[in-house]
Amino acid sequence: MARRRSRNRVASLTLRYAILIAWALFCIVPIVWFLSIGLRPRTEIILPRPLYLPTFTLDAWHMIWTAWPMGAYLRNSLVSIFGSVIIDLLLAIPAAYSLARYRYRFREDIGFYILSTRMMAPAIVAIPIFFLFRNLGLLDTVWALMLIYAAMNLSLVTWVVRSYMLDIPPEIEDAARTDGASDLKILILIVIPMCLPGIITAAVIAVIFAINEFLFTLLIASTQSAYTLSVALANFTGGSDGVIYNAISMVAFLAFFPVLILVIAIQKHLSRGLTMGAVKG
Amino acid sequence: MADAMAVNTGRATRVARSHLRRRSPLARKALPYLLVAPAVIYLLGITLYPGLYAIYQSLFRVKFNSWTFIGLENYQKLFADREFWGSLWNTFLMGSSALAIEFVVALGLAALAYRDPWIRHWRIVFLLPMLFMPSAVSFIWKLAFNDGRVVSDILMRIGLIERPLDFLGNVFLARLSLVVTDVWQWTPFLFIIFVAALQSQDAELEEAAQLDGARWPQIFWNVSLPMLKPIIAVALVLRGIDIVTMFTSVFIITGGTPGGATETMSYFIYRTGFKRFDFGYASAASVCMLVLTVIIAQTFVKRFFRSARE
Repeated sequence: MARRRSRNRVASLTLRYAILIAWALFCIVPIVWFLSIGLRPRTEIILPRPLYLPTFTLDAWHMIWTAWPMGAYLRNSLVSIFGSVIIDLLLAIPAAYSLARYRYRFREDIGFYILSTRMMAPAIVAIPIFFLFRNLGLLDTVWALMLIYAAMNLSLVTWVVRSYMLDIPPEIEDAARTDGASDLKILILIVIPMCLPGIITAAVIAVIFAINEFLFTLLIASTQSAYTLSVALANFTGGSDGVIYNAISMVAFLAFFPVLILVIAIQKHLSRGLTMGAVKG
Repeated sequence: MADAMAVNTGRATRVARSHLRRRSPLARKALPYLLVAPAVIYLLGITLYPGLYAIYQSLFRVKFNSWTFIGLENYQKLFADREFWGSLWNTFLMGSSALAIEFVVALGLAALAYRDPWIRHWRIVFLLPMLFMPSAVSFIWKLAFNDGRVVSDILMRIGLIERPLDFLGNVFLARLSLVVTDVWQWTPFLFIIFVAALQSQDAELEEAAQLDGARWPQIFWNVSLPMLKPIIAVALVLRGIDIVTMFTSVFIITGGTPGGATETMSYFIYRTGFKRFDFGYASAASVCMLVLTVIIAQTFVKRFFRSARE
C-alpha cells in the first residue's frame, strides 16, 4: 500500500515536470532560434529548407546602426515613453489619492470611468485621434506619441497606485493631520514615500505597454522623426529583399533586455500591477 | 474598551475642528474633486471627444477634405457589408479560441507550479515571451510559419506531413497562426496572475484539507479554485479586452488574408480608414465597436472588479 502510494507520487511528479519542461521549451526555443536568426548572415535566413546551425556573424548588429537611423528610433522611444510616464504620474498620483482617501459623491463612478478607459480599443479612437493631432500639427512628432501613451496608461497607473495607497493605515495620516499638516503635505511627505513600490510598479508597467504600442504609433509616425522601435521593425524591409529578419531580431533583443531587467526588479509586484491592483500577490 | 472609544471620538472631533479652522468647508469639499479632475479631463479628451467625433463623422461621406452629410447611410451600408460581419466573426472566433487556450494552459501550469520549489525560476522562464514587443513576436512567428517554413519543416521531420503547409493560403491555418502567436506571447500574463493568487491564499486551508485525507487534485478543485474565481474573472476580462483589439499580429503576419478570413475589427477599421480613406465609413464601424465595448464594460468589468476588491 505504502509502496504503491510512493510509486504514484513518483509518477505524478514525473508527469508534472514533463509538462512544465515542455512548456518551458515552447517558451525558450523560439527565442533562442530567433536570436540565432539575428546572428547569422542574410543569405541563411530564407531558404527552401531552414538551416538550424548557421554561420555566426554580427553583420545584423552593425547593419542596424549603420543602415538605419537607430539612434533616432531609440531617442523617439525614450523621449515619448519617459515623457508619457511623467505625465501619468503627475495626473495619477493626486487622482489615486483622491479615490483612495476621500468620500464624496460620484467617487465610485469617477473611479469606474477611469478604469473603463482601459477598455477603449485603440481602433475605436484611432481616426478621431489622427484628425485631432493633424489639426494640432502634431502628426509625426514624439509629442503626439507622448500624449497618447500617457492616455493609454493613465487608468492603469491610477488604479495601481490607488490600490497601494489603500494599504497605508489611515491612522498615520490622521496623526500627521492632528499635528497640523495640510492634505497636500501629507500626500507628498507621507503617502508618496510609503507607496513608492506601487508607484514604481505602475511606472514600469506603463513603460512596457508604451514600448509595445503599435497601432497609434503606426498612424502618428511617418518618418524617422517619430518612429519608435516597435513600429520601426515593420519598416525593416528592403524592397525586393523582403523582410530583413536578422536586423529585426537584433532590434527585438535590444528592446527585450531592458524590459527583462525592469520586470525582474518589480517581480514581486508584477501580478498586482498587471491586474490594476486587484490581486495582492 | 469604552475608554478607548471615548479617546478615539475625542481625537476625531479634534481633527475635524482643526480642519474647520484652517479651511472653508467649500474648499474642503472641493479638494478631492480638484485632485481627480486633471486625470478625468485628460481621459475625457482622449475618449469622449474622439467618441463624439466618430459619431459625428460617421454621418458624413468623407473624401479627402470634402464632407457630405448622408445621415445614416454609412450604417445601412455597414450592416449589409459582409466584410464587416466577417471581421466581427473573425475577432470573436480567434479571440475566444486564444483566450480559452491561454486560460486552460495558464491555470494548469499555475496549479502544477505554484507549490514547486523552483517556482521563481519557472516564473521567469514562462514570462519571457511576454517581454518582447508584440511586433517582434509577430515577426518571430511570421518567419516560423510563413517565410522561414520552420514549423512545416519540423512537422515534416517528425513525419506528420508530407509537404510544407501553406499558413497564408488556408483559412484554418492562417487563423491558427495568429492564435498561436497570441497564446505564445500572452499565456504568461494569466500564468503570473494565477500563480500570485494561488500563493497568496491561506496555506492552512490546504493543509487542513490534506490532513483530512483529501488528495491534491481534490484540494485544488474544491478549495483553491473557488477562492481563485474573482481573480480569474478580472484576469480574463483584462486579457479579453486586449484580444478583442487584436491588430499588430494581423498587420504583420497575415494582412487579413486569405480573403479576409483573419481580418479583425481593428484591422477592418484601419484598412477602411487608412488604406481606402473612407473615413466616414470607418467611423461608423468604430461607433459599432464602441457600443459593443460599452456594453461589455458595463456588464462585466464593473461587477468583477468590485467583487475582486471586496
